[in-house]
Amino acid sequence: MRHTPYRWHKPLTPWVFVLPTVVGLLAFKLLPIVSALYFSFTEWSLLGSPLFIKLANYRELVSSEVFVRIVRNTVQFSFVYVIGSMVFGLALAVLINVQTRGIAFFRAAIYLPVVTSAVAVGIVWNWMLGPTYGVINNLIEAMGMTPPYWLADMKLALNTVATVQVWKMSGYYMIIFLAGLQNINADVLDSARVDGANAIQSFFRITVPMMASTLFFVLTITIIDSFKNFELIYAMTKGGPQNASNTLVYDVYLNAFVYYRIGYASAIAYVLFIIVALMTIFNFYVRKHLVEGLD
Amino acid sequence: MKKLTTFIVILVVVGTLFAAGTKEAKAEGAPITLEWWTWDPTMAEENQQIIANFERENPGVKIANTIVGTAEYWTKIRIQANQNKLPDVFTMSSGYIEEWAKEGLLYNLDSFVERDDTFDLFYQSIFDTNKAISNSDSYYAIPFALVTTVLYYNKDAFDRAGLAYPTDGWGWDDFRSAAKKLTIDKNGDGKIDQWGYWFYGRYAHVEPWIYANGGTLLDRSTMRFSPDKKAMDAMKMLTDLVLVDKVAPAPKDMSAFQQQDVFPQGVAAMWVDGSWFVDTFRKNVQHDMRWGIVRVPSGPSGSNTLTYGWPDSYALAPNTKHPEMAWKFARYVAGEGIGLDTYMAGKIPSAKKLATDPLFSDPNQQPGKDMDLLIEQAAGPMTTSYSMGWGEWRGYGGSEALGLNGTIDAIVNGLMSFDEAFRRSTESINAVLKRYYK
Repeated sequence: MRHTPYRWHKPLTPWVFVLPTVVGLLAFKLLPIVSALYFSFTEWSLLGSPLFIKLANYRELVSSEVFVRIVRNTVQFSFVYVIGSMVFGLALAVLINVQTRGIAFFRAAIYLPVVTSAVAVGIVWNWMLGPTYGVINNLIEAMGMTPPYWLADMKLALNTVATVQVWKMSGYYMIIFLAGLQNINADVLDSARVDGANAIQSFFRITVPMMASTLFFVLTITIIDSFKNFELIYAMTKGGPQNASNTLVYDVYLNAFVYYRIGYASAIAYVLFIIVALMTIFNFYVRKHLVEGLD
Repeated sequence: MKKLTTFIVILVVVGTLFAAGTKEAKAEGAPITLEWWTWDPTMAEENQQIIANFERENPGVKIANTIVGTAEYWTKIRIQANQNKLPDVFTMSSGYIEEWAKEGLLYNLDSFVERDDTFDLFYQSIFDTNKAISNSDSYYAIPFALVTTVLYYNKDAFDRAGLAYPTDGWGWDDFRSAAKKLTIDKNGDGKIDQWGYWFYGRYAHVEPWIYANGGTLLDRSTMRFSPDKKAMDAMKMLTDLVLVDKVAPAPKDMSAFQQQDVFPQGVAAMWVDGSWFVDTFRKNVQHDMRWGIVRVPSGPSGSNTLTYGWPDSYALAPNTKHPEMAWKFARYVAGEGIGLDTYMAGKIPSAKKLATDPLFSDPNQQPGKDMDLLIEQAAGPMTTSYSMGWGEWRGYGGSEALGLNGTIDAIVNGLMSFDEAFRRSTESINAVLKRYYK
C-alpha cells in the first residue's frame, strides 16, 4: 500500500533538520580548524591584528630543544596510556565478567573514576603520592623501602600522571571489553574446555582473537584519548619539573591562554594534528591488514 | 488592499514619531549605561551595593557589572579588546599595563588626574608605581588597591621556642638563626615536624628578598634578564636554606600541600608572601594560631624599606563614549565612594580616607596593629620586575613549574646546581624577553 506523502514534506525539509548541526560544525569545528592553520603562520596576542610571519613559528618549533622534549613526552604518554588502558581495561572486564552476588557494585565502583572530575582525581592522587604524608609512600616506607618522588622526579613525573590517567579511564574501556566478552558464544569456550584447553590457552587462542574488532576499536579510541591529557597535568604537575611532564596539549594551553602566543600555539596544534593523522593512517592500515579477516 | 495600504501608512507615521521621540529623549535626558568588568566573583554582592549607591547619586546612569572568573578574565577581555568592545571601566593587572598601554588599549588619564586634584584623595605613590610599571610617562590606570609582600610569623611557635618576635630591623643572620631554632623534630622520628621557613620559586617568595638586598633581576636599559650580584646573593641565601642550613623543606616534600596552607597549618613557622593572605588567614585560621607580620629581613647590601608591591587598578576603554562618567565611576569604585568593608583585608586602599580608617588596623582581628606596616609600605618606595612577557619568563599560574620559578625549584629539589640552573634559565628567559623587546 502506498502512503500519501506528508503535505509539508518538501525536498528541502531534511536540510532544515540537519542545518543546526551543519552550521554548528562549520562555525565551531571547521572554521576554527582552518583559521588555526592561518594563525599558525602569524604572530598574534589576541590584541590587535595577526601579523603574518610566514614559517617563523614552525622554524622556532623545530629549533627548540624544549619542543622536541614535549613531542617525546606526548608519544611516551600515549604509549603508557594506550598499553595500560588496554591491559587493565581487558583484565578488569575479564574479572567482572561473572554473574555473582554484588558484581554490579564492583562494576559501578570501577566505573566511578571515569565520571569523576579530572581535577578532583588529580588533587586526591597528589595527596596519596605526597612524599611526607601520602598513603602510598607511607606504605612503601612501612615495607622498609625508600619511596620515590613520584611527581618531582624528572624520570617519573610523566609516567606517574599517565598511570593515574589509566586508573581514571580503565573503567570506560572495561565496559566496552565487557560487551565484547559477552558477545562470545559460550559454546565455543565450552568445547575448547572439553578439548582440554586450559584457561590461559582459551583466553589467548579463543577470547582474544574473537574480540579482535573490539580490541581494534578500543585501540583506536585509547590512541585518540591519550592526547586528551590536559586536566590531570594541570592538576598534578603543571608540566614540571623542567618540562618533564609537558605535552603538546598542555603546551598549546600554555602558549594560547597563559602566554597569549596564539600563532605559536596554533603551530603546535598543527604538529599535534599531523601526529594524530599519522596515528589514524596507522589504525586504518592495522584494520585493513590485521583485523578485517578476523571480523 | 486599501486597508493594507492604510495600515502600512499608519505604521510608518507612528514609527517615525516614535523614533523622533526617542531621539529627543536621548538629547534631553541622556541616559548612560556604563559597562564595568571585574574578575572577582566573591565580590558580587559588594559590587551590587556599590552600583546601587552610585546610581542613586547619579540619576540617569546605569552600571552593568560583568564578573568573569580570574581564569577566563584575560582571554575574554583580550577578545573584547580585539573587537573594539572593551567595557567602559575594567579591572587591570599590573602585569599587563605596559603591553596594553603600548597597544593603545588604555585611556590616557593624565588630563583627568591633573584636573581633579586626584592626589588630595588618593596616594600619589601608588599612582606613580603604576606609571613606572607601564614603562611610560602617563597614568593609564587608577589603582584601587596596593598589595605588598611581608614576612608572616607564627607567634605560638616563637613563644614555644622562647624566641623574641621578628622586627622590621631583622637582617639575614637574625632570620637564619631563628629559622634554625624553629626547625624541630617534635617526636624524634627523624622527620622534621615544624620547619623554620617555607618557600619555593614563586615570585612573591623570592623577589621580596632580592629587593630587600638592593638587587635587580632585569637590566631596564636593555630589558634583558641580568640578575646582579645582590640578586644572586639573595637567591643563593634562599636556596641554601634548603640545601645547606636545612631549615626549609624542598618543594618536592610539600607537593601534597596547597602552598598557602603550609604556614597556617603550622608546618612552617615563617613565610613570605602577599599581604592579601591576611584575609585568608582571618577567615581560615581565625584564633587557632596567633600570627603577625613584619617587613622581609634586610639583606647585607640593601634595606627592607624598598618594598615589593604592586597595585590592582581600573582602566578605561580608549574608545569609551562616556569618558567623563567612566572616570567618575572609576574614582568612585577605586575608593572615593566606597567603604572599607568592600576591601579584601590585606589589600591597601589607594584612597586615603580608607587607608587611614582606624578599622584598617582593627585591634580585634589578627594581626592587629601590625597592619600599620602595610600603610607604611604604601607610602614608601616600591619596585617590581614586571615586564611584557612576565608571566612566561617568571613562571606564573599555569606555567608555575617553568620559567624562573621552575629554575629555583630545580635547584632546591636537587635537579640542578645553582650555576647550571641560572646559566640555562638566563638563556631561556632572554629568549622570551627578546620577542617583546627586539
